[in-house]
Amino acid sequence: MDGPLRFAVLGDIQLFLDDGADAVEDLRRRDVDFVVQLGDLTEYGSAQEYAWVAELFDRLPVPSFAVLGNHDVLGTGADIYRRTFGPPFLSFQHAGSRFVLFDSNSREYAFPGNVPDLEALGEALAPEPGVDHRFTFSHVPPWNGDFDAALTGPLEQLQAERGVSASFHAHLHQFESEVRRGVPYFVADSLEHRNYLVVAVDGPVVRVERVFY
Amino acid sequence: MAAAWHVRGLVLALLLAAVEGRAEPPEEESPWFVPDHAALQLAGSIGLLSAGPGWGFLRDGVDAELLLGWAPPAVAGEDFLTVTLKGQWHPFRPAWRGWTLRPLTVGLLLSYTFGDAYFVGLPDRYPDGYYWFKTALRPALLLGAGAGRPVPALGLRLQGYAELVATDYRLLHFLQSPATAGTGLFSLALGVRVRF
Repeated sequence: MDGPLRFAVLGDIQLFLDDGADAVEDLRRRDVDFVVQLGDLTEYGSAQEYAWVAELFDRLPVPSFAVLGNHDVLGTGADIYRRTFGPPFLSFQHAGSRFVLFDSNSREYAFPGNVPDLEALGEALAPEPGVDHRFTFSHVPPWNGDFDAALTGPLEQLQAERGVSASFHAHLHQFESEVRRGVPYFVADSLEHRNYLVVAVDGPVVRVERVFY
Repeated sequence: MAAAWHVRGLVLALLLAAVEGRAEPPEEESPWFVPDHAALQLAGSIGLLSAGPGWGFLRDGVDAELLLGWAPPAVAGEDFLTVTLKGQWHPFRPAWRGWTLRPLTVGLLLSYTFGDAYFVGLPDRYPDGYYWFKTALRPALLLGAGAGRPVPALGLRLQGYAELVATDYRLLHFLQSPATAGTGLFSLALGVRVRF
């Protein structure tokens, strides 16, 4: 394959389905390998909303993945998520990079102490031959009050030790980027701000760009 | 305590059945609280099947119904049990060849979903105002039509109806994202009323 690996990262959809549809339309014209949505696909976790977003993603010519957001687990939403997108923890390798999606909605489960699942994350991020970059995706950023405060330090430490190239989050509806323990963290805008992130990986270089549409 | 809401639902169903059962003996001029009809409905955002007693007012120009709804796990992901209070207004009721037509029905419903997965009051794990809606309560607007006729052999009147049901969240999505929501604004309900 020529050129760098490129993938797109989308923020909260919730009530912004038409903005989501425009994002998908814009993505159809971009050269990306796949798309990751960062959770809060829905507002109420309802079957109809899951059907709407699944129909949007079906319009993409490339594979799409979705993180589980706090709104997505409301009611029986977590079950509908599993039926639609599979298990909330997902790890895959593509073009020399490791990608891990995980559930960081600690408050939804009343902070049980194992959300996010750092054990599973640690295994997925273990050193392996042929993997130069590691990217992680979860809805609630680790410094937010809805993330289990007892796991903030351990998660950031783990991501630093495993050399994560970038950690992507949403939930705040407002773009942010900061470096924590040497790892770049990005919070994507919700889609009513009409932009998403495109990540380009070229050898050792990772570039994250905000694309407005 | 996973079974608690099943039990609650079952008790409610038995109560409703008892009310309906008692409705049969009285002749003429029953007190207002004795149901004068029963409704059986397919779909419409309150379960795959729902049924319950109803009360007609103003010469059946206004109907109120209390429906118990259910959907199996195959449809709803899990057992789904609701109780719904529904009010309908039929402003026109022209007669035509023995039929009473109801070309327009407008109404409102409020549905409560049983189960620990749904809340009315925000659970303790959330700060005040964390979610602005109550997942167990689902208000909706109705738009429908129907037609009925007497069945003398049974001493009953039968009415069939169809309703478009727009729940609060479907309306909200439609107003915010009309292109994507489209006809998903509505779910379709089909039903029959049996008037005693």
